[in-house]
Amino acid sequence: MLKVENLVKVYKDVRALDGLNLDVKQGQVYGFLGPNGAGKSTTILSLLGLIFPQEGSISLFGEEVFRDGKYDEGKLVKAKARIGYMPEHATLWDFLTPVQTLDIIADAFKIPKAEKEKRIGELLDLVGLKEVRNRKVGKFSKGMRQRLLLAQALINDPELLILDEPMTGLDPKGIAEFKDIIREQKKAGKTVFFSSHILAHVEEVCDTVGVIVKGKLRLEDSIENIKREFLRKAGYTIIIETNRPVDFSGVEWSVTPLGENKYRVLAEGDVREEIHDFVANQGAKILTMQVKEPSLEEIFLKMVK
Amino acid sequence: MLWGFQLEFRQSLRTKKLWVILGIMVLLYIPVFYIIKSIGGSEITVEGAMAFLIQFVTGMAGFFIGILALLMGATAINSEIEKGTLRVAMSKPLKRVGYIGGKFLAHSVVLFLALLLSTVVGTLGVVWLGAPLTAVLVRDVLLLNMLLLLAMVQLVALGYIISTLVKSSSSALGLALVLAFVLFLIMPNVVGYLTFKASMNNPNMGHDEYIELQKEYTTKYLFYVPTSQVGVITGDVSNTDGDLANVTYNGMPYAIKKNPANLGILIGLTLVYLGIGFYRFLRMDLR
Ligand SMILES: Nc1ncnc2c1ncn2[C@@H]1O[C@H](COP(=O)(O)OP(=O)(O)OP(=O)(O)O)[C@@H](O)[C@H]1O
Ligand SMILES: [Mg+2]
Repeated sequence: MLKVENLVKVYKDVRALDGLNLDVKQGQVYGFLGPNGAGKSTTILSLLGLIFPQEGSISLFGEEVFRDGKYDEGKLVKAKARIGYMPEHATLWDFLTPVQTLDIIADAFKIPKAEKEKRIGELLDLVGLKEVRNRKVGKFSKGMRQRLLLAQALINDPELLILDEPMTGLDPKGIAEFKDIIREQKKAGKTVFFSSHILAHVEEVCDTVGVIVKGKLRLEDSIENIKREFLRKAGYTIIIETNRPVDFSGVEWSVTPLGENKYRVLAEGDVREEIHDFVANQGAKILTMQVKEPSLEEIFLKMVK
Repeated sequence: MLWGFQLEFRQSLRTKKLWVILGIMVLLYIPVFYIIKSIGGSEITVEGAMAFLIQFVTGMAGFFIGILALLMGATAINSEIEKGTLRVAMSKPLKRVGYIGGKFLAHSVVLFLALLLSTVVGTLGVVWLGAPLTAVLVRDVLLLNMLLLLAMVQLVALGYIISTLVKSSSSALGLALVLAFVLFLIMPNVVGYLTFKASMNNPNMGHDEYIELQKEYTTKYLFYVPTSQVGVITGDVSNTDGDLANVTYNGMPYAIKKNPANLGILIGLTLVYLGIGFYRFLRMDLR
């Protein structure tokens, strides 16, 4: 569906992509995770022929659209007809209304008039812009612009959706609605590839996550495994409260008392069961247990090292 | 190509630049015609009125719409990259060359309409002064429009080169203004001075010889100023010694035929600029 091999992109003095490999299968919802400046947008722009990488190859729908610094424009245009793309930090034409915007975008796909009108109505409903459909985009809030950007990406009912940080600027309700839309796409058998630097954004919706750091894919796995891996790398912090004091001497974890019957345990792996047994052996009971996950930034920092 | 055209045409017609510049230009037309009328419009012959119209429109439209064309071109691509609209557009199933071709066509049409406005207002002015609206007048006004359009297109194409080289659209706008200042004001005056100096070597040079020298210098040293090249051609539309009551009118076809080099420069340089601008657009990163 989407295959990238050894992609290299150098901007004047920055090696933004350093031999990137990607393989996204049909029907996957793929979360493309990485810290700021990792090369997420650079990857996405390359997929659409918007920038020119220097080396490597890109295949879309089984057709090689790019190799060694050159796009095959004919193949690229054919592939783009089946793709929906939502750029990062973009605005649409200020002087058009949502209806006019979607109309002109639909024209680029040569969608017949009747179908076009029906689709525009549906999409404005879907992204919640029905009420403002005849207001100029120039007067829109950031969240409203983001919703319209999503709508324009869906106009051609794309088989592959490529979204660059689609959830920035959305309120919690917007994020929930967005995740619903992604789930709908998955149900309809579409492939979704989207980038984010926030773990919570890819949770719940992605079946596969790839982590890019400094222009290379460092990790690719299911979201559960990635999280486990993240936690293993960053270490677990577990905070417990017991009904009476516990003597932790002789354990291999580092334990700091936080107050009366309250302890912080730092461990390499998931030791929740072990803690439970240890406390029970002393005849005490755990009242509360909290696992503090490391932030994505902390993990990224460790991965880079 | 049609898609890019539609979008750009709608967009261009909505820019403030366009209406502000055209507004100033048309407003300047009114007092000029009033002054001519008050200082003896009755003595002006038909030929004189037509000769005046052509010189006047070449100067005014060439300057104002020339600046407009340069500014339009200089922000055509970079501002769209800044806003992100270009990435949205080019993620659709369109070829880059079709998109830029459509944009260029839209800019050309908008500039043609601007020139038409200028010439229509100018023609109304000379009719008001008393010149009859003859077939020759209409033909020559249209030919003048085509020549000026060529000059404007060249300036747009020059603007595209700036637009692909300078990332920030506000810097590009500044650069375009400086360039307009150099092209339309500084260089013509420098070359004018050089012509004058050269003529000093020959103390008994006549009026006609001086005009010839001026043409030669303009062709040689101002080949990159399209409005000056149009000026050389329109200079032959009529022969006058400055007195509007004593003019022989040769017409535009005669003037164009007499100056093939200048027409060639206009067309040739336009193609070169367009080639460079398009080539750069086809291979540039749109971020
Ligand atoms: N036009 C450019 N010129 C020079 N360097 C650039 C340019 N665009 C991006 N870069 C650099 O390329 C690297 C990758 O940038 P990219 O935008 O792909 O990161 P990203 O993962 O999308 O980050 P973010 O989360 O901030 O959007 C960064 O180091 C950035 O500074
Ligand atoms: Mg980015």
